[in-house]
Amino acid sequence: MSDSVFSPGIDPPSPTLSARLHELASYLAAPAAGRLTEEQRALSLGVARRLVADVAARLDPRIDPGLLWKEWLSGGLPCAARLAGICFARAEEHRWREQSGQRTSPPPVLTEPEMTNADAPAASEPLSDVDRAYLALQIADRRRFDVLGNPALAVADLDGDTFRALLLDIAAWRLAEVSGDKRRAAELGDAVRVAIERQVHETGMAHAGHAYYEILGTALPEAAAAAIARHDWPTLIALAASAHRRAYDDMAITLLTADTAALPSLLAPLGLDHAALAPLEVSLVMLPARAVSGGSGDE
Amino acid sequence: MSERIIRGRVDRSGVLVSADAPLLRLQQRAGAGLDKPLALPHLARLIALAQRLDRDISRPLYAADDHSDIHALVRITPDADGASLEISDWRTRPVTPPQVPAIADNAAGSQSWTWECDQQLRLVALLSAADAPAIPDGWEGRSLSELFELQPDEDGRFPVLRALARQSRFESQRVQAAGIAMILSGDALFDALGRFTGFRGLAVVAEEQMPAEPKDAAALVDPAFGSLPLSDPQFGRRIDGALRGPLSRIIATAETISGQFDGPIRADYARYAGDIAHAGRHLLGLVDDLADLQNIERPGFKAARDEIDLGDLARRAVGLLGMKAEEKGIRIDAPRTDDKAPATGEFRRVLQVLLNLLGNAIRYSPENSQIWIRVDRDGDRAMVTVADQGQGIDAEQQAVVFEKFERLGRTDSGGSGLGLYIARRLARAMDGELTVDSAPGQGARFTLSLPARDV
Repeated sequence: MSDSVFSPGIDPPSPTLSARLHELASYLAAPAAGRLTEEQRALSLGVARRLVADVAARLDPRIDPGLLWKEWLSGGLPCAARLAGICFARAEEHRWREQSGQRTSPPPVLTEPEMTNADAPAASEPLSDVDRAYLALQIADRRRFDVLGNPALAVADLDGDTFRALLLDIAAWRLAEVSGDKRRAAELGDAVRVAIERQVHETGMAHAGHAYYEILGTALPEAAAAAIARHDWPTLIALAASAHRRAYDDMAITLLTADTAALPSLLAPLGLDHAALAPLEVSLVMLPARAVSGGSGDE
Repeated sequence: MSERIIRGRVDRSGVLVSADAPLLRLQQRAGAGLDKPLALPHLARLIALAQRLDRDISRPLYAADDHSDIHALVRITPDADGASLEISDWRTRPVTPPQVPAIADNAAGSQSWTWECDQQLRLVALLSAADAPAIPDGWEGRSLSELFELQPDEDGRFPVLRALARQSRFESQRVQAAGIAMILSGDALFDALGRFTGFRGLAVVAEEQMPAEPKDAAALVDPAFGSLPLSDPQFGRRIDGALRGPLSRIIATAETISGQFDGPIRADYARYAGDIAHAGRHLLGLVDDLADLQNIERPGFKAARDEIDLGDLARRAVGLLGMKAEEKGIRIDAPRTDDKAPATGEFRRVLQVLLNLLGNAIRYSPENSQIWIRVDRDGDRAMVTVADQGQGIDAEQQAVVFEKFERLGRTDSGGSGLGLYIARRLARAMDGELTVDSAPGQGARFTLSLPARDV
């Protein structure tokens, strides 16, 4: 918290006043920059809430996530700065996918086939390595939704430092709640260690994306172009992240904030021709309230 | 049927003093409750804005609660004591991401799994709700039909396989998963190229597995509607939600094209668009009727007992449909303002019945003809009669005219064929009756009678 926001002599501010003065200070520092829309706020907050609940459940299933969230909402999220980037990246990716969903072509009209009880499709046919890698990528992607289809972050996709910091913040909150109970405090310490060890071995979008990227080989440009044509943005982001050796969420936000003119060079490692990029350019341009890098404001 | 409005009220100090259930739930999930300051920051800001401007405002509202992100439209009316809130178009986000459409809040019960498979029916997602059975290990990438042992329906068919062939949604696929009987339903998914990419849906623990009161299966099947679950309270809402929005958009767009508001187009194209709008309105009417039907056939349905005047209601109905009659040059002879017939019945339901009777009369009357509406009293019954100069209804048709999907012997006149059925059900729910008296070539007289009221 910056001291410079408050004039000397003013009483310690209320949390609301403090928040408003900080907001005003950041506004005065860049008045021309576009601010978060209410939708972006709500989506990012929802992503953060689900992540906190998931991590809390890993630490101790007896934690009441509603109570934890209520207290953090009133007092502020202790890990706000760490969570801001990943929650915003996930929220923006979700807005992008949602926009594509609303603009998809109508499904083809099929002639009514003779409906017989054909045998179930032979899903047991052996999968090719490429198909298996793509299936794994899809599974990793779908882990980033809650049971109702709302956007979430998978613990496996968090970098170790962020997960550890969040875990410790929740443990500190829990510790205050169970203070006096030394046995449960010790259990909490053990749970933190176990959770950290478990998370290290989990694989998410980055791993699945890299495996898919590696196995595609010379078929990479074709697969990337198909992902763009299908508006399969998670696959495109995962391939680009692997090509640049960057984290998935980092690549997502880079792509989502890229100036249209920067897309060809950004995606050059995928070997895409300009025509293949067209649907991507159109889709990004149409996304409202996008924070474009290098621009003076929103696109 | 009007769109559902969620209402609430805050006092001058920003305390929520009353709220319909969804708004109250949101407030509670935000850590507050009734008679507590509004804990929804965006809504509180909008209320403050309306109070500062001292005028009504309507704005989009975004809020995140425990279960979903909410998107709605709020209308705020400030007054001296605080402000009234009317929230409509309440939707959970996301609407429909391409690969992962959201499951509606009310559809996913606490005893369900959410699943998704690819076009080869290989599972790519499986999540369980709070009280659902545990998800089996190693589901990732397995075949849907391997994890869920498919059971045939009464006709020996498998809904999911039919849906796969048709690339369409399915429901009521009975399955066994990990020894548990479940019902599978799913929506077909498509990518931006329109290619089928799989299904996403719910697996709900079958009724017989739940420790709930057994339901009479026969009560869920309506003889006229086959397997449409009219007794299912979700049904009306699903129909409403699934059809009203798209239909309204179709009608609005078709009317814009038909009216050539965006510039001139070929006359035959404008006519086609007019036809599309007409068909859309017809379907919207059917949606209204089905939702109404679902409501009035609910066990225990009761109409309110308002003090009404059939003369006044008849004049209101004429006021609403007068323009439609004028388009056909039809003159309506309505009750005079001093013609009164005090009665007991639910105001809006009686108006609904009269609008149906008058609408039918206009629809089936020849151009430049006349319609009469008369009110009367016979003993303890107050009556209103709508008479037209249409082609009339013969005795055989009169016997079935109040049945579902009967359209007075006409197939080209619009209407769902549910209006008179609903009207009679409503009349009887108000201790009244709806009768018809007619002969071929002599027009028709429909009479609504209700308990008379002494004034």
